[in-house]
Amino acid sequence: MAGGAPAVWPPVAGAGAGGAFAARCLGAVVENRSLGSLVWLTLEVPGWPGAVPGQFAMLQARDSGCFLGRPLSVSAQYGEVVSFMIAPIGEGTRELCALSVGEQVWVLGPLGNGFDLDLLTAGPGRTVLVGGGVGAAPFPLLLSALAARYQQTPPPADAPKPEVLVLLGFRDASQACGAGPLAGAAEELEAAGVSCPGEVATEDGSIGRPERVTETMWRQVRPGDRLAVCGPWPMIEGVAKVCACIPDVQVWYSLEAGMACGVGSCHGCVVTLADGSRARVCREGPVFSSAALFDRGCFDAPAGGAS
Amino acid sequence: MMPVRLGPLLLAHPIINASGTMEILDLAEVLGPDVLSVPPVAAYVPKTITMDARTGNPAPRILETPGGMINAIGLEGEGLKGFVADRLPRLLALPCPLIISIGGFSLDEYVGLAAGLREALEAALGDGWTAKAGLELNISCPNVHSGCVSIGSNPAETELVVGAVRKIWPGLLIAKLTPNVTDITAIARAAEAAGADAVAAVNTYKGLVIDRKTLRPYLGNVTGGLSGPAIKPLALRAVYELYETVGIPIVGMGGVATARDVLEFMACGAAAVAVGSAAFRDPSVGASLAVDLWDELTARGTSVADVVGVAHRPV
Ligand SMILES: Cc1cc2nc3c(=O)[nH]c(=O)nc-3n(C[C@H](O)[C@H](O)[C@H](O)COP(=O)(O)OP(=O)(O)OC[C@H]3O[C@@H](n4cnc5c(N)ncnc54)[C@H](O)[C@@H]3O)c2cc1C
Ligand SMILES: Cc1cc2nc3c(=O)[nH]c(=O)nc-3n(C[C@H](O)[C@H](O)[C@H](O)COP(=O)(O)O)c2cc1C
Ligand code: FES
Repeated sequence: MAGGAPAVWPPVAGAGAGGAFAARCLGAVVENRSLGSLVWLTLEVPGWPGAVPGQFAMLQARDSGCFLGRPLSVSAQYGEVVSFMIAPIGEGTRELCALSVGEQVWVLGPLGNGFDLDLLTAGPGRTVLVGGGVGAAPFPLLLSALAARYQQTPPPADAPKPEVLVLLGFRDASQACGAGPLAGAAEELEAAGVSCPGEVATEDGSIGRPERVTETMWRQVRPGDRLAVCGPWPMIEGVAKVCACIPDVQVWYSLEAGMACGVGSCHGCVVTLADGSRARVCREGPVFSSAALFDRGCFDAPAGGAS
Repeated sequence: MMPVRLGPLLLAHPIINASGTMEILDLAEVLGPDVLSVPPVAAYVPKTITMDARTGNPAPRILETPGGMINAIGLEGEGLKGFVADRLPRLLALPCPLIISIGGFSLDEYVGLAAGLREALEAALGDGWTAKAGLELNISCPNVHSGCVSIGSNPAETELVVGAVRKIWPGLLIAKLTPNVTDITAIARAAEAAGADAVAAVNTYKGLVIDRKTLRPYLGNVTGGLSGPAIKPLALRAVYELYETVGIPIVGMGGVATARDVLEFMACGAAAVAVGSAAFRDPSVGASLAVDLWDELTARGTSVADVVGVAHRPV
């Protein structure tokens, strides 16, 4: 029918499917696996171009009671098969977590900037991944990408074995099941000649050490390390305080924010940067350097701070 | 069957975007440059430009609400100078007309914005610029605390501002109205009397959401503007009443998400229809709406011209 449109009207190719340019597309659920209190949702997304670790997509169940999509980090991808790790905390995420195999999901993405692997591996120390709760979601993909990178460019034989350290904090054992999907990627790293130790802590002590991930950091993070951090804002602040007290660490934070569009259109997802300007988490982020986020590249340690 | 005339602008079809809901230059970077060569709308409306750069309101700025969302962005933007230097040249390269939305905090600012834009457009396009670019006066933003909406809430001030801009702006001039008034038709009459070529209705409905944990206002700005399907019946009523009041074309908006919504706005009297919040979940929705509208009109054996205002005529 669209073919009959007037000549002055720019041709709208494939318009019934959403217009001439690739906006969102329908993916189909190929797996819904529960990970304790989280869900590992795998979709087949036609035309998925591949995400950089730390990028996200806006997801909305096809028959959704919600108005807008929800931002979710890409956790794994094999061609057009893309996985997400989802905490069912509200209507949008609960709908997604309740989907069965074959049901459809609107997918808009990949979106945002993602982590810079060059910077994360360029330090004199280790690459350290710090995740809080479902903030671990981008890490399986990040670990796989690091493994692929070390496979492609193996470290010199005489250099010390590189290390990627993973520190995860969860509320309880049920949420800590979110660490599961990282195991395969950690093996890929070991196979690439990179050691990949990890530590899990829970706030209620039901698995791992009974502490917050910031306390694990005090023990584990060393000068020279390069950190990739993802979690809710209170955890980001806690991590920043720790990092302010350790010399020569550089940190990249993946932030959460309420989002309507995920593509920079609404200006709803802003964060205030160290210089007072505002940045859109979906466009300029979600990954920001500590220098951009916090004054003088670090957070003021609290008066009489923990050290 | 589909083209629409708004003042000196010719639109290939009646679907445009609502100001503040589509950053087309960002879309091009995120989704690919096709969006610039084949825009999903028949005219592009950038987010409201202010005289000075503004950082906007503190977070949080948005929240989904039943059937829509609430926002309090607060006219964040780079200001007139930055817009003219950076974005305007790229937006003028779009293959569709441009309707530039401006928001002022005084009469002088509206006039200054219009004058600055006219100068830039004349410099870029010469005499023919009025066929490429029009102006929308945002006298209706609920999320800033002076000017703007207070002007658009008062017929006399509306007439002053529209009249002053009219004197120096020969191109398309639209007054975008707030629904947060006792009688929107009084404001529209004032805009028409002052020489506006069209009115746009509606901007968002002022509202408030409560943080469920703290039981305090959720938005950084305390109040915000409600948009999306939840406001559609309210917006339809506004357009319906405007059609009975003014003779100039109406750009209808408020909760448009499907071609049926577009038809409803047209039936109430909208000559063109803007899609806003629905583009947040699908940035290409404008293109699908245009195609679906074409299909819908074809199926009914009718045209845009025949549908506009049909709700006011007996069956
Ligand atoms: C870049 C990015 C990546 C993300 N990746 C993941 C991921 O991989 N996995 C994952 O599980 N999550 C992820 N998130 C978070 C996820 O997007 C949110 O959990 C999701 O949008 C929640 O939607 P919902 O409808 O389930 O909950 P909603 O009901 O929309 O709630 C969303 C948030 O808003 C708050 N809220 C809503 N209404 C109110 C109110 N009235 N008062 C106070 N607070 C309110 C809620 O407390 C909650 O924190 C990511 C977020 C971003 C920005
Ligand atoms: C996030 C957001 C930002 C907006 N910014 C502007 C703006 O800058 N100028 C303006 O005139 N209207 C602005 N609006 C109002 C819309 O243009 C439109 O009038 C309103 O949202 C109703 O349409 P909708 O229900 O389709 O969204 C904004 C709306 C939203 C949701
Ligand atoms: S979510 Fe709309 S600008 Fe970031």
